[in-house]
Amino acid sequence: MSRADRLRGRIRESLGWLVERSAAERALISLASLVFAILVGAVIILVSGRVTECSTAAFYLPYTSIGFCYDPVQIYLLLFNGALGSPFLLGEPGLIDPSWSVFNFRFGFTLKETTLLVFTGLSVAISFRAGLFNIGTQGQLVIGALATALAMVYAAPLVPAGLAGGVILIILGLAVGALFGGLYGAIPGLLKAYADANEVITTIMLNFIAANIAFVLVSSVFRDPSSSVVATYEIPDYAQLPSIAFPASSNFSELGLIAGLFAIAGLYYLLEHTSFGYDIRTSGVQPEAAEYGGVDSKKTIVRSLTISGAFGGIAGALWVLMQTARWESSVPALGFDGITVSILAGNNPLGVLPAALLFGMLKGGAVEVAFQTDVPSDLIGVLRGLIILFVAMPEFFRMIGKRLLGTDSQAPGAAATDGGDVDE
Amino acid sequence: MTPAVHLDTITKRFPGVVANDAVDLVVEEGTVHALLGENGAGKTTLMNVLYGLYQPTEGKIHINGIERSFDSPSDAIDIGIGMIHQHFMLVDPMTIAENVVLGNEPKKYGGLLVDHEQAIKEVRKLSERYGFDVDPTAPIEDVSVGVQQRVEILKALYRGADILILDEPTAVLTPQEVDELFEVLTELTAQGKTIIFITHKLGEAMEAADEITILRNGKNVGTMDANTVTREELAKRMVGREVLMEPQLSANEPGEVVLSVDDIFAEDDRGVEAVSDVSFSIREGEIFGIAGVDGNGQSELVEAITGLRSTKSGSMTYRGKPLEQLSRRERIGAGIAYVPEDRQERGMVMPFDLVENGILGSQRATEFAKNGRINWDRATEHAEDIIAEYDVRPPNAASTAGSLSGGNQQKFIVGREFDREPKLVVATHPTRGVDIGAMEFIHEQLQALRMAGAAVLLISSNLSEVQSLSDRLAVMHDGSFSGVVDPASVTEEEIGLLMAGESIDGGVDATLADTESTTDDEADNTGGKL
Repeated sequence: MSRADRLRGRIRESLGWLVERSAAERALISLASLVFAILVGAVIILVSGRVTECSTAAFYLPYTSIGFCYDPVQIYLLLFNGALGSPFLLGEPGLIDPSWSVFNFRFGFTLKETTLLVFTGLSVAISFRAGLFNIGTQGQLVIGALATALAMVYAAPLVPAGLAGGVILIILGLAVGALFGGLYGAIPGLLKAYADANEVITTIMLNFIAANIAFVLVSSVFRDPSSSVVATYEIPDYAQLPSIAFPASSNFSELGLIAGLFAIAGLYYLLEHTSFGYDIRTSGVQPEAAEYGGVDSKKTIVRSLTISGAFGGIAGALWVLMQTARWESSVPALGFDGITVSILAGNNPLGVLPAALLFGMLKGGAVEVAFQTDVPSDLIGVLRGLIILFVAMPEFFRMIGKRLLGTDSQAPGAAATDGGDVDE
Repeated sequence: MTPAVHLDTITKRFPGVVANDAVDLVVEEGTVHALLGENGAGKTTLMNVLYGLYQPTEGKIHINGIERSFDSPSDAIDIGIGMIHQHFMLVDPMTIAENVVLGNEPKKYGGLLVDHEQAIKEVRKLSERYGFDVDPTAPIEDVSVGVQQRVEILKALYRGADILILDEPTAVLTPQEVDELFEVLTELTAQGKTIIFITHKLGEAMEAADEITILRNGKNVGTMDANTVTREELAKRMVGREVLMEPQLSANEPGEVVLSVDDIFAEDDRGVEAVSDVSFSIREGEIFGIAGVDGNGQSELVEAITGLRSTKSGSMTYRGKPLEQLSRRERIGAGIAYVPEDRQERGMVMPFDLVENGILGSQRATEFAKNGRINWDRATEHAEDIIAEYDVRPPNAASTAGSLSGGNQQKFIVGREFDREPKLVVATHPTRGVDIGAMEFIHEQLQALRMAGAAVLLISSNLSEVQSLSDRLAVMHDGSFSGVVDPASVTEEEIGLLMAGESIDGGVDATLADTESTTDDEADNTGGKL
């Protein structure tokens, strides 16, 4: 009987508790986590503000003369306010800046991040719902982005310039991105279904393979020699997704977000209202029962990972279409962020939007904090990380608990009584 | 003599329901008292009132003649009441001794540290006093369920319990462990402890109890002496009407062969041969029963037929066509219904509600889905039909499978599978865990399917169930049929011999030891019955 064994017992109990929480309780847990993350972050801000040297203190401990270089209240207000393009006048809380417009650059940036994260979040969500720990969205995004950029660059001379050509090229780009992302996602699916290869390992390895193959292909074959970085030629201006109300400099296209909303609704419909979605959900929560219910587990694995890959590919396509207009070697880690977004959303497509928005806001706000204060960007990264970590962890442990404890965790409720309390 | 427990007109209401309606219960000191009733009769609620988990809406509790009221279980524990729940509350990695003393550990160094030696000594003493065969130093995860239950009893005794409440104590035990439990109960009462145990099994109540109190719909419908009462009398009071104890098969001429199994071999999950050279066929309107001690290849045979396991060799023909090539889904579509052995792993998806569970297996059938889109309105109706027809409680299609008691899960699965209008029904332990009213109903449904021309493969470890329901009965031992007999003329002794792998002709004069072991098997298989 060791201390470790005892600890194991406690951990199992705590995980069981998390697994049994209702949706409303989980939302409250997330909210409490957010508040707690801000409190812990505030302490870290104060401590780092104390060990740093600065000429004037930004914050004094109330009733004392102990000064700190950074003001936690100001930083957090800036973080959230900045993400929206600073609608609130911070000196006078509650007052909206009359010159503020919804369609500002910073909020556009936030929404662009949100849009991309919606797609990577959905990509992860569908595989997690099928009980597959797919870590490969990043690789699918890289491949999708490259396929989109190349297809559009090389198809551009074949279509007329202008609106009509743009529409054709955009549709082509999205389709090619989804196709190649999907095919790339099918690889770990096939490996798992027919060779029993663990999808966690294969998807992680395929991420490296994607990044390096794309880099080699572009640097040796498709490189735009006039570019200082390893990148393809740019797609024509008329084939980029346009910003309608937001400033074009924000790289945000409302069309992308609308597509994201359709994708959320579509995936929700797929999971909740179709036979295929039923198969996916059953496989995810209880594979034995799925097998009993006639679900072909091999096909379900391949199909759900293919759809997952297609969403990753579309995220890559939108990154090209909205932001870069080409494939370049500095692909952001949106695929990995998608894992956190999905966990935060409880792997529910409807939860992906608020989760992606929180993520997008933290990204947008962080830029604003770095811009307006002398707080080092590393510290802002820590604050962002804390919020994500705290908010996502209960859901993450809940997922682990479900795996570890299996259906046992439901059993106490199942048969603990002969029903004397409610059955009559 | 003052009774140990006297519950005086206890009423417990929950919003919308009366769980206990003016129940009187008198339990004499040093006796075993069975609280008998169907699922949902209010037995557990009544005991939760006695244990302080619920406060009674009306009524009084007298313990040893003194009126008591309990705000929480700790009040009840303080005056010597212990309750052992159906699901144990033990910490798996901790030893038996640590579990027993948990919360009341003997201390040393002025209360700073737990005195492990003292704990082991005390638990060993306690265990020896009541004849419990447990090793205090063994971790819980390494001991059998039967021993875990004794640890729960030890926990209660360690806290000074004189009155022990056991909630469905036999539900999780093997037949042999049930016998051991009853010996433990006898020893406890011999030393002056008072036992109340909750059960829905007539046989157990009659075997283990001195007195039996029957609850029906939250009311006490009689307390009787366990030595003189008959099964029929108990069953009638429990259900509220005459119950057909032994189902009778009506005459029926079997039709075409539906399933024929020829020389099949199959392996279990570890790759060990589990089914060896089994052949049989079932006709329309025929129930083919397979008896046998669990784990003799029945599960693997059933999985091979239903499409969850591949065969190593041999062939199966279903309605004139080879069965092996059909996938599990195609077999469901071709009219093979299957009540699985493991309802919580296979038969239902625990986090899903009953609407979703009602279409498990037919999620792509045209009845519920068109162009890949599920018709949830139709699925809801379907679930509500099953709930109404099979009396699933609570009658709420939105409740999750995991929130149902085991018996109600079983009723729902049976209802779903029988309502498919199947051509072949494979029913594994179809009445396991359900109360006698539901058992009778399921038996009637099986016979109705038979009369409607379905072929039924019935596997049960309940000997009298397979014997009375089958047209032909095979006994399975060690992966193959040790005999196929006429259930109407075969004796229980003969079946017992076959179950032990003897042949009827040569085996009757076998050694006494063998005969004894087969009688045990028989007891195992009838113990859980009415």
